[in-house]
Amino acid sequence: SSSGSRSRTWLRPWTCLSLGSPVSPGPLVRALSSQSGGPGLNVFDRQMKRRQREWAAAQSDAAQFEYIREESDIKRGVSLRTFPLALDLGCGRSFIAEHLTTDVVQQIYLTDIAPTCVRLRHSEISSRCILADEEFLPFKDDTFDLVLSSMSLHWVNDLPGALRQVWRVLKPDGAFIAALPGGDSLYELRCSLQLAQTEREGGFSPHVSPLTAVTDLGNLLGRAGFTLLTVSWTWTQSRLGFVSGMGESNCAWNRRLLLHRDTILATAAVYKEMYGNPDGSIPATFDLLFMIGWKPHDSQAKPAKRGSATVSFGDLSKISPPKTS
Amino acid sequence: MSGSNVWSRTREKLQRFPELFAECSFEAAAYGKCVAATTTSKQEIKKDLCAKEFEALKTCFTNAAKKRCK
Repeated sequence: SSSGSRSRTWLRPWTCLSLGSPVSPGPLVRALSSQSGGPGLNVFDRQMKRRQREWAAAQSDAAQFEYIREESDIKRGVSLRTFPLALDLGCGRSFIAEHLTTDVVQQIYLTDIAPTCVRLRHSEISSRCILADEEFLPFKDDTFDLVLSSMSLHWVNDLPGALRQVWRVLKPDGAFIAALPGGDSLYELRCSLQLAQTEREGGFSPHVSPLTAVTDLGNLLGRAGFTLLTVSWTWTQSRLGFVSGMGESNCAWNRRLLLHRDTILATAAVYKEMYGNPDGSIPATFDLLFMIGWKPHDSQAKPAKRGSATVSFGDLSKISPPKTS
Repeated sequence: MSGSNVWSRTREKLQRFPELFAECSFEAAAYGKCVAATTTSKQEIKKDLCAKEFEALKTCFTNAAKKRCK
């Protein structure tokens, strides 16, 4: 049975499987987001992003575009222990839920801004789907043992605010694991576009949305209150035509709405010449950033107190190698 | 998207783009090389620096499109 608040038009809870008493949506936390410096940060047109994700998810061949999510392989990081209750932020077509098993996650909530995305295909884990925006999480504090996000945080306007909200809805000692494209993604496209537009039109404007640099991620996680951070990255290449199929079309407000046909043709020629592979294929790089952060808890190891050391680095030279028998 | 509109027609045209582009690989390479050369030389990229090469590419592309439509 479906229940929930209808006081905001953007929140419509959707029940996919009924599971007994549901976790009730908590007070809406718009206030928290704006306190963090939110009002000035409006880079992305979220309505446009919702329409793009809707369209991509509704395509009959949508499944073939999931491979970047496969590549981000976020479930590998998750197999640390069993998490009773998890949240998938920006679930897309529920790729993560489909690939998780009950020994890792027992129950999962899926959220996305696009309704078509939020329809669970099949998962062995019991789940609920909620239409919600990553920037306004409708859950109470200390709800989840695990929050996951794969390939959706790069479209969030107030990323520090969103991370603080993730921190809020996590239980102490809960984990946040996320993957998103970072600063060097699609650099081939950015460079080709810039050169071609300058040659054809005399100047250029941004067409690839702003992305987070890996160096900023650690800072962002720390400021949001996470501890025991791990940030890593990997490069992967895909084919350029797939970007819109993944629902990843640019929705930044500053995107130029039209691209001249001549400029498109010019960009293709430059791209192929500068970055094309010998076999004729055209690579597009995704710089994937991974992060793990934990909500603090007393059980977690803390850095030792200054002055508590019982050995010195100078003792290293006194260590003799073990005798091999 | 139901029905034919500007959006779906544009998408159709874009889908034909790769095959038309493939027919002009010679002209595309010439234009691409001209532009790419500015990244390694002192010459800065500026408007119409490679206009000649681009016109050749555009002519080839337009002709290929006309042939396909027949």
